Amino acid sequence: MVEIDKSLHGKDFLEMAFDYCIKCSTCKYGYKSYEKICPSGEKYLFESYWPSGRIRIIRGLLRRELDWNDELIDPIFACTTCAACVDACQAPHADHIVEMIEALRELAVKHIGPAKNQEFLVSRCKENCNPYGEPNSDNEELKKKYNLPDKAEWVYFIGCTSNYRQQSIRDTTLRFLKKVGIDFTLIDEHCCTSPMIRTGQLGIVKDYMNYNIAQIKNTGASKVITSCAGCYRTFMKDFEKFGVHYEFEVFHTLELVKQLLDKGKIEFKSEYNKTVTYHDPCHLGRHMGVYELPREIYKQIPGLKLVEMRRNRNFAWCCGAGGGVKIGYPEWSVEISKERLEEVKETSATIISSTCPFCHRNLSDANNDYNYDFEILDLMEIIDKLEIEVK
Amino acid sequence: MLSLTVTKKRNIFEKISKEDVYKNLLDIFGSHYVSDKDVDLYPYSYDMTECEPHMPDFVVIPQNIEQLVELVKFCNANLIPIVPYISGNNVGGLTIPEQGGIIVDFGKKMNKILHVNENMMYAILEPGVTFGQLKKYLDENYPTLRYSYPMAPPYAGVVGNALLSGMNNLSCKIGSMGDSINGLEVITADGDIARIGSCFYGKNEADPDSWWSRYPMPDLIGLFVNWQGMTGLVTKCAVQLWPNKPIQKAFVAIAFGLTDIADLLREVGRSEIADDMSYFNIAAAKLTMGIEHPRQFPEEPEFLVIIPISAKTEEMFEAKKNILFNIIAELNIKGNNLIIADFDEFSRLAGLKYRCIYDLPAVVIPTVLKSGITWFGSYCPTHKFEELIEKVDEIFRKYDYHSPIIYGKIMKYAHYGIFRPILPYNKFTEEEKVHQILEEMTDFCLSLGCIPYKTPNWMTEKMRKKINPGWIKLFEKIKSCMDPNNIFNPGRWNL
Repeated sequence: MVEIDKSLHGKDFLEMAFDYCIKCSTCKYGYKSYEKICPSGEKYLFESYWPSGRIRIIRGLLRRELDWNDELIDPIFACTTCAACVDACQAPHADHIVEMIEALRELAVKHIGPAKNQEFLVSRCKENCNPYGEPNSDNEELKKKYNLPDKAEWVYFIGCTSNYRQQSIRDTTLRFLKKVGIDFTLIDEHCCTSPMIRTGQLGIVKDYMNYNIAQIKNTGASKVITSCAGCYRTFMKDFEKFGVHYEFEVFHTLELVKQLLDKGKIEFKSEYNKTVTYHDPCHLGRHMGVYELPREIYKQIPGLKLVEMRRNRNFAWCCGAGGGVKIGYPEWSVEISKERLEEVKETSATIISSTCPFCHRNLSDANNDYNYDFEILDLMEIIDKLEIEVK
Repeated sequence: MLSLTVTKKRNIFEKISKEDVYKNLLDIFGSHYVSDKDVDLYPYSYDMTECEPHMPDFVVIPQNIEQLVELVKFCNANLIPIVPYISGNNVGGLTIPEQGGIIVDFGKKMNKILHVNENMMYAILEPGVTFGQLKKYLDENYPTLRYSYPMAPPYAGVVGNALLSGMNNLSCKIGSMGDSINGLEVITADGDIARIGSCFYGKNEADPDSWWSRYPMPDLIGLFVNWQGMTGLVTKCAVQLWPNKPIQKAFVAIAFGLTDIADLLREVGRSEIADDMSYFNIAAAKLTMGIEHPRQFPEEPEFLVIIPISAKTEEMFEAKKNILFNIIAELNIKGNNLIIADFDEFSRLAGLKYRCIYDLPAVVIPTVLKSGITWFGSYCPTHKFEELIEKVDEIFRKYDYHSPIIYGKIMKYAHYGIFRPILPYNKFTEEEKVHQILEEMTDFCLSLGCIPYKTPNWMTEKMRKKINPGWIKLFEKIKSCMDPNNIFNPGRWNL
């Protein structure tokens, strides 16, 4: 058997590449829907760009039948890790295909580095604690603006994309939390580390995780809420995988909204007479299995007509932003979103709504770059437009 | 370390440099559709079986027949091998480039369903169309029609499976998939395009409604069926479709004696009531239940036979069902030990992870449990079922094999059968062992007259020793006539 560097975080997943996968191609298309689901394979076509091809690359590299060189960069990194293959594959390793790809990336980073520009995710974090390279916001201004305490029951973990790019998601979430009377505060955040984990650059991951936990602990909070599907996935799945434990509960904002609706603590009083389609973020849908919760909320908004795209829920076509693709392959990333917007055109929707700032950003980029006329709105942005009765 | 990827045996760049081949391929296909990078070639170098791997030199993704005509002319002039590839879930090393050369990956762009004739029930397909794709298309557009689906992953290629005489889940009625081909469009070695079958009328394009029969002209389709891509490039294929009957139910016969299924297969098969009869041993059933290393206990059944039955009316279904039940009762009186149950209920009770037995089975769980799978897939004389089952069971026991699967079918109302021992295995540690077992099984099965299909080269080598010299001579003459420069999948059948 091959020797695998024991210092690798993903060594078990690399080993798994030798135990499973006959390359039956089931990972390539939606299970029983027979729809195209893999952005990487559909774009680059060769077997090396499909999940089973990547598993073969792991084998080839570890068996030293493939040499490390720059030709490997694209097959390894041009993948959004959207987990559509995880949903489609029926073999024992199915649940771990993304982890296998991430482990391959960890290995690749040691030999040939990540894809072009992905290294900035780390260097910018080292400088400013966020992958956008923006001056770090300690969120004190926001705390003052919203009159937030230092200690609270909840922490709203804003996430870098909402804090530095899609700020409307941050602001509407803050307004909602205030409006419904949640006792919450903010912390001086470091990046949740999702971009680093997805691109195999693990050097700062544990330190950042521990830092964020310490910050949250300082507030005395027992609950963390985030409006970012990526942060949510990272807290819920990756922290434990990296051996970093916390004692608070983690929620996505839509879970709180649904709880408040179900308990009758809030009621939407005004109408929103528009046709909306919901784009399932990969990190919330396939990565975390949350499909119906957002739909149930949209359906409770008076006047809102929810229509589905052809590929929805576990079959949803990725927005193209994840897995380091937005920074590593910016043009292709937006092309992937364009395909999603074409799918929206098949519906009667004028609004594409999601629950992930990264999806919001990429769908908006495609909407602008390709001159579509849709409105891209986060669920919280729609809720912000409603009159809410707090009981 | 044992190297998985073996260097090719022949220098294929004697007439033209590799660099010049690459330049020509770029001209024909465009840079996005050609690769000579090791990382892109490597996934094409081996398949799920223990067959020896070989690296291709290039992979190309064609989009139309004009590109392929240019490719064939270029390769024929320069003696460069061409290996057709569809979705890569191959057995027998069929798409492993024995002598290097160019992999033609049809699966990615030449995958269109070109036409469906609802009246005469056929579809014209490009080579890359998969079973899943065809099923979805028919369900959405022609719900009264269906294709015959194999017990294979949903993304196996339809045309490849038909050209290689694969099985299907209407096999009891219609036999092999190869029998269901109405017509082909092929590119021959000199770059000519030939249309074969009733579509042969017309100097230029064929009328899409003319692909309705294979006969009565000389059966040139036979020059391409089961030739493993050695005689030309198939670019279109018309396959027969079948009525999608409103009533579809399945039964499972449970056999307690090791060879009790043999009489059952023959008798039910010839009664003309079943769409399909697939048998598999209890170990396969246990693997399907998620039991990783199945052991057999005394008094357990030996085999299960799944029997899908379709009918246009309830009366027709009841009549077929009664015939089935009567045959079982009569066989039990004669000393067999069989019981029959409703398949849906049984599969739920036993936790069988079959998703859809009547239509496209999608995924057969035992086949994806490890990193490799190999088999002795053969057409067999049905009067030898008992001997085949007993001996192969004995061989599995002798080696204490962890996943001993025996699978098969009765074909075309019992004119012949399928016998297929299957060995899931760990590709990187068990290859020698599975090969030894498979070789022992092959020797025995060939001695009883079995004819393997989708054959690896080591198996055809064994067959050659048993085949009459006249056949071999004729076979080789046809090959050299069809492919004088040996560019089409060279090395298959050791040619």
